[in-house]
Amino acid sequence: MKHLTHHAKWYVVAVLAAANLFIWQPIFATSGANELTIAFLNVGQGDAIFIEAPTGNQMVIDGGPDRALLRELGAVMPRTDRSIDVLLVTNPDKDHYAGFLDVIERYEIGAVVMPGTHSDTTAYRELEKKIAEKGIRAVTAWRGMEIALGDGVVLRVLFPDRDTANWKTNDGSIIAKLVYGDTSVLFTGDSTKLTEGIVARLEGEELKSDILKVGHHGSRTSTGAAFLALVQPAYAVISAGHNNRYGHPHAEVMEGLEKAGVETQLTADEGTIMYVSDGKSFVRK
Amino acid sequence: MGNQRITARSLFFPFALSFTAGIALRSFADVPVSFLFAALFLFFILLFFAWHTHDKRVLLVSLCLLGSIAGMARFAVSSFDTGSPILATRVGTATIMEGVIVEEPDRRETTTRLTVRIEKMLGDDATLKDTLLVATEPYPEWEYGDRVMVRGKIERPEPFANDTGRVFDYAAHLSVKGIYYTASFATVSLVAKGEGNRVRLALFKLKQGFIDNLNALIKEPESSLLAGLVVGAKQSLGTVLLDDFRRAGLIHIVVLSGYNLTIVADSIAASLRFFRPMLSASLSGLGIVLFAVMVGGSATVVRASIMALLVILARRLGREYDVTTALVFAGFLMLLHNPKILAFDASFQLSFLATIGLIYFSPLVEPYLKRFPERFGLRDVAVATLATQLFVLPFIIYSIGEWSAVALPVNLLVLLFIPATMLLGFFAGALGFISYALAYPFALLVSLLLSYELFVATWFAKFPFASFAVPPVPFFIVAAAYAAYGYMIYKKHKSR
Repeated sequence: MKHLTHHAKWYVVAVLAAANLFIWQPIFATSGANELTIAFLNVGQGDAIFIEAPTGNQMVIDGGPDRALLRELGAVMPRTDRSIDVLLVTNPDKDHYAGFLDVIERYEIGAVVMPGTHSDTTAYRELEKKIAEKGIRAVTAWRGMEIALGDGVVLRVLFPDRDTANWKTNDGSIIAKLVYGDTSVLFTGDSTKLTEGIVARLEGEELKSDILKVGHHGSRTSTGAAFLALVQPAYAVISAGHNNRYGHPHAEVMEGLEKAGVETQLTADEGTIMYVSDGKSFVRK
Repeated sequence: MGNQRITARSLFFPFALSFTAGIALRSFADVPVSFLFAALFLFFILLFFAWHTHDKRVLLVSLCLLGSIAGMARFAVSSFDTGSPILATRVGTATIMEGVIVEEPDRRETTTRLTVRIEKMLGDDATLKDTLLVATEPYPEWEYGDRVMVRGKIERPEPFANDTGRVFDYAAHLSVKGIYYTASFATVSLVAKGEGNRVRLALFKLKQGFIDNLNALIKEPESSLLAGLVVGAKQSLGTVLLDDFRRAGLIHIVVLSGYNLTIVADSIAASLRFFRPMLSASLSGLGIVLFAVMVGGSATVVRASIMALLVILARRLGREYDVTTALVFAGFLMLLHNPKILAFDASFQLSFLATIGLIYFSPLVEPYLKRFPERFGLRDVAVATLATQLFVLPFIIYSIGEWSAVALPVNLLVLLFIPATMLLGFFAGALGFISYALAYPFALLVSLLLSYELFVATWFAKFPFASFAVPPVPFFIVAAAYAAYGYMIYKKHKSR
């Protein structure tokens, strides 16, 4: 106690300095103005993509297979930020939503976009139950739906365009395109060649995007040549676990991407992969 | 020794130490019961002899003999149980069982481990009471006291080799907790909630509420680290970070350590000081016991709790607290309760070695750190860290085979902030029950401290020379190292 009174002024300075750090920390932590950030999070075998619009509005597409999502979100979000505006589940397979079970408990969530397909597993029912219990607004994705994240950043839902309630979960996966200025990203969830075909017929040349989140972790069920020719991405990202038991990504998909001259990155090799757009072009961070 | 006065302490020490030696012997060698009876007979002869000659040395020898017999007998009794024969017939087959979760679920990043007391099995009328370690999916979440249906293949735990070539006796490790069977990739479904001990149920609920508050206010991985520091939450940091902590020599703070418990015990005692002495002592004692139960009672926690209770008791009785007596007493009680921990529970072994190092090895280390600044208790931390690190080193090398070269600077940089981290973390979690806004400033402050601690661990772990893998060493080298340490301590003690 004597020590404390003796050095009182230094403690006051220390406390004030620390307080200053707090006040400025969120400001420093937010990305530079007018930038859209997209981070393909390193969640192992699964998908989880964090999006932050220049306005600071945030969205997470898919929740990965487990609690790794919490740690990854902790790394890309500011310390003081305990809310996420939108969560989106592309399909009700565990590697696309399980991490959300914990996220919903810990973050304030604005709304959840759900796929048209269903799953009867206890874990997925748990997710639906938690969403209902917390009174979070839940909407089912439908073609034509647009999610505006502010400052012209818009996520356009391209699929499903029909009732997919009885579809296989991968076939019914949500496909959505994020547009900011001249830049765009195509999110495909676990979509198969079947789904790709439907969207290709509906969108045609409009599918063209700068970045492609390769469907189904690079499985041979997805990323057909015709689809790839329409998207014409400059970059492709494959979200898959290191030495996963499915052998993702499959060699034929990698070959197809290479033939099309696409620069491809794997979360398994590089960890979290982050791109930033100023509305004109994407830069890898 | 010959004409020294016989005190309770001079009788208890040799008995307790030989009891420990008896357990150690019996842990590795099967001593026939006939031998124990013969030794017991010899003991009576010696006792009779001591009675007549009044030779205290004979009394001492007979006491040591009795102690080691008791130790061997205690271990023999504990090894009767090797799991039910009914389950043994089911090993390797898929089985449907019903039971109750009797420990808090151990939530790892990709799996959850449940300790289930199995009561019945499909297709068999027998009543069971086997404990099964069940590995299952992380979702849905389970709680202590849940009655569940488990479907999975029953297995016997097998030993496995770690990265440095040491074989880990997984079966022996689990047998400490009375677990002889496991089931991995099991499917679990809920039957009923709320079974199990009422007090534990309530304490775990309180703890979960506390952790939920921290989780809502603080991001990962900071919140997991804090939950581990303050309430010993088994909430994983993830394998990557845990590996970093191991490399940095900081793994001991990840789960609630004896050091943390001592801080908690001191805080409990300090906050109850304004009560009348008797009431304050009783409440502190109760608080420490409840806290130990809440955090899940690992050997480290039990050891530190017993010692903290003895501090309070000594103060209450107006007697001087003797740390050696406390340590021996704590060890004796714990071994009496479960003799298997001596040879097969790393938590028990490390906790006692570290405490011995802290108490008896520190005076040897201190002269070399005289240059160290005393400010903020920096030197105390340095001495304590170096003494415990050096003392547990032979054991770590023998059992784990990994040695962190950066442990000293890392511990110096981190341990100084642990009391503040725990205190702020406690306020953040506790005030969270009232209002998050009230808890927010504390959460922010503590999250900064935690970020700093995580940064130190990960930064040092990145060095290529941060940790060394040591090839397996024969046991006699370890024994020789401890003999040397023992001699050094003895010499220092004599010279004073």
